[in-house]
Amino acid sequence: MSPPAPAAAPDRAAPPPRGALRPFHFPQVHRRALPNGLRVLVAEVRNFPIVTVDVVLDAGGVSEPEDRTGLATLTAGLLESGAAGRDADAIAERIDGLGLSLDSGVSWDTAQCGFTCLRSRLEPGFELLAELVRQPTFPEGEVERVRDERVSSIVNRRGTPSSAADEATNRWIFAPGTLFARPLAGMLRTLQGVGRAEVAAFHAARYRPDAATLVAAGDASVDEIVALAERWFGDWAGGAGALALPAVRPRVEGTTVVLLDRPGAAQSELRVGHVGIERAAPDYFAATVMNAILGGTFSSRLNLNLRERLGYTYGASTTFAARRQPGPFSMSTAVQTEATAHAVSETLRELRGMQEAEVTPAELDDARNYLAGVFPLGLQTTDGVSGKLSTLATYGLPDDYWEHYRDRLLAVTAADVLAAARTRLWPDRAAVVVDGDAARIRGELEALEIGEVVVMDPDELEA
Amino acid sequence: MQIPIERFELGNGLRVVLSEDHTNPVVGVNLWYNVGSRNELPGRTGLAHLFEHMMFQGSQHVPETGHIAHVERVGGSLNGTTWLDRTNFYDTVPADRLELVLWLESDRLGCFLPALTQEKLDNQREVVKNERRQRVDNQPYGDWDERMQAMLFPPDHPYHHSVLGSMEDLDAATLDDVADFFRTYYAPNNAVLTLCGDFDPAEARRLVERWFGGIPRGPAIPPLPGRPVLEPFKLGREVRHTARGGVPLPRVYLGWRVPVYGSSDYYAADVASELLAGGTSSRLYRRLVRERRLARGVAAFLLPVVTGSSAFIVRGNAPAGGAAELERALLDEVERLAAELADPAEMERAITGLEARHLFELQKVNERADQISMLTTYFDDPGLVATELERYRAVTAADVRRVTAELLTADNRAVLTYLPDGEAPAEAA
Repeated sequence: MSPPAPAAAPDRAAPPPRGALRPFHFPQVHRRALPNGLRVLVAEVRNFPIVTVDVVLDAGGVSEPEDRTGLATLTAGLLESGAAGRDADAIAERIDGLGLSLDSGVSWDTAQCGFTCLRSRLEPGFELLAELVRQPTFPEGEVERVRDERVSSIVNRRGTPSSAADEATNRWIFAPGTLFARPLAGMLRTLQGVGRAEVAAFHAARYRPDAATLVAAGDASVDEIVALAERWFGDWAGGAGALALPAVRPRVEGTTVVLLDRPGAAQSELRVGHVGIERAAPDYFAATVMNAILGGTFSSRLNLNLRERLGYTYGASTTFAARRQPGPFSMSTAVQTEATAHAVSETLRELRGMQEAEVTPAELDDARNYLAGVFPLGLQTTDGVSGKLSTLATYGLPDDYWEHYRDRLLAVTAADVLAAARTRLWPDRAAVVVDGDAARIRGELEALEIGEVVVMDPDELEA
Repeated sequence: MQIPIERFELGNGLRVVLSEDHTNPVVGVNLWYNVGSRNELPGRTGLAHLFEHMMFQGSQHVPETGHIAHVERVGGSLNGTTWLDRTNFYDTVPADRLELVLWLESDRLGCFLPALTQEKLDNQREVVKNERRQRVDNQPYGDWDERMQAMLFPPDHPYHHSVLGSMEDLDAATLDDVADFFRTYYAPNNAVLTLCGDFDPAEARRLVERWFGGIPRGPAIPPLPGRPVLEPFKLGREVRHTARGGVPLPRVYLGWRVPVYGSSDYYAADVASELLAGGTSSRLYRRLVRERRLARGVAAFLLPVVTGSSAFIVRGNAPAGGAAELERALLDEVERLAAELADPAEMERAITGLEARHLFELQKVNERADQISMLTTYFDDPGLVATELERYRAVTAADVRRVTAELLTADNRAVLTYLPDGEAPAEAA
């Protein structure tokens, strides 16, 4: 075989032009409702013989009693432990025999149980899902076992610098006893003594058709999904009623430094956080673009500064956890010990910088195009699409929301970004949390004079 | 499953695979360089990974951090990873930006050295050291793979040391080391380029030839350092280590040498790992997590590596004080797998799970492209992306029992135990 003729040497000096534009549309969203109140959202995605089905329930962390944090997570985790006459072994054999990728989980807003399967297993998958969601039996022994596993994972969490820092951050962002102050997965004392009766009562109260949406995406028609929903969920009865959302309150009046002391730590886990934004806020899109510029991408101001300029860290990022109520904004990084205090002051400087002047036109363009461009990348899988349907259900967004999502990002202006930075970033009222070696960094943190420095042992997170 | 495959080779030796799919307006561009930590010389551990970082620091026509900025600003995602056998780089972008990525990837292959500076190296050396602190040193159990590699492979084997390498070696790396590494391994004849997604194959081929065709072939790739062939293959004895302190709860890792990825015994061993811990109906989950409550979590998997030996790993998370009992119970289950044939329903569940997960993963163009690059790099056979599952289907219960009995033995085993501060050693528990 002769080698191909050498191509003319290309001009490398500038990036090549873009090719022909390919259109993108979010799949059409179909909405139905069953007489028992169960809502059904379907998107047909016919690329692969794969379907994802999820039941999204108003049974997340916001619906559990404050002194029983972790109950929602425990309940969802126990659905596979026994249901409708099958024990845990039989359910496991059924899941694995069908090749279901079955997942249940809890966010602050919802609980979710569902699966991804080959299209040929859709009907038995539905049958099993209905059993797990509607008729779990919560055997006493399994409740005890899964609770013990949760307790182990709490011990692990406190012993892992990154997760201990996350827990402390939420604890200092939100006022004691209010929403989001405690970890969703629970604490040792809030799981202590939880038994079958409490789990079953929580399930009976919250896992109800009027508080649930069934979402499906993949290689199945709307009619097929609705027929399966009617067959397996049509006679699901009872009502959960509307949920009163508790209010969110910040904890600190001024910036406060919390130092979780871990003698000999190899690095400092660093967080800067405060109350953020709710999903339905009018400036949600502006805050999203603002966050991309500040710390939401590799090329963001914060990452280029702390990683590429200073070499302090493997990476630094910021996020808004937007929930029905305003969730946390947080900056997250892990820096070498000697750089801890400087990383804190640089972070606060970057937050203030966003508030002082409009971002440049190039920054604005890059961030908007990034967010609009990566959106379709997340929609290549059926569970990616079903996740978007779940978001519609959870936040009560209109059916055409995703079709216009990119346009709304692209419409954000520099003035919008500045306004979002001024209302949504609180550099003077932040929880600065460091999990690290106090003996080496306490003095420097105090010398910053940004606020009181509170030193605590990671085990005190239980208090 | 139909996955279109079109392959060709440029005059400079670059192997190219095109797999078109017009489902979504996106394209995945994936490059595998046939170099990893296995190629590192003594005293220069971590160099392959440090080099991967340098590949994001600009080339002659792309400024520092410009590669990432260009991809992000068109709405793409990208990264690179380094492992024992290879280094990969991948970009997923809107389909109309394919040529941008080919420009970027070809510039850092063809025009890397003019942009290399000491300042960039010093900066990324610090970034990598912080990566190591974050992922290994400040992370409970974060050094398990480093420890397990050192236990399973002798000092002169290329897998003896970890991908991240040692802090001392990172400090010792010079600009000349980086440049030499590039000249030695970053050549079109040592790489595979895969494009997967929404493009016209004829147009894509023209673009690949345009941007990569003029890059000269590199010199012959030197043989691996050390002794990649293990003789005898098995460890010869049980190797034990207990790591004390710095972890909240005990954990047990078991490791065995098993044949390399691509061999028929590898597939049999992989099915064995699936039977042990592939789902909640698996043996370890059912017996040790659910029934006996000796473990809070279990896992079993093989490393898909190709140099001399792979490793079969079993992990169990123990409750406080439970490491020794858990180790015994894990070994009992392995021994049972070596003694009794798995029943047909259990075999069927294991294969069903493997098949389903494989298909779910392949929905993403970047995942498909990565698999194709891997199969082309290791076996020169991109079509395996659609047919490899037949190799799993061919595994019988007798194969699983034989491979388990032959290889998952006491004289081929490494046992790594983590104990929290103050907990008695495993032997005395």
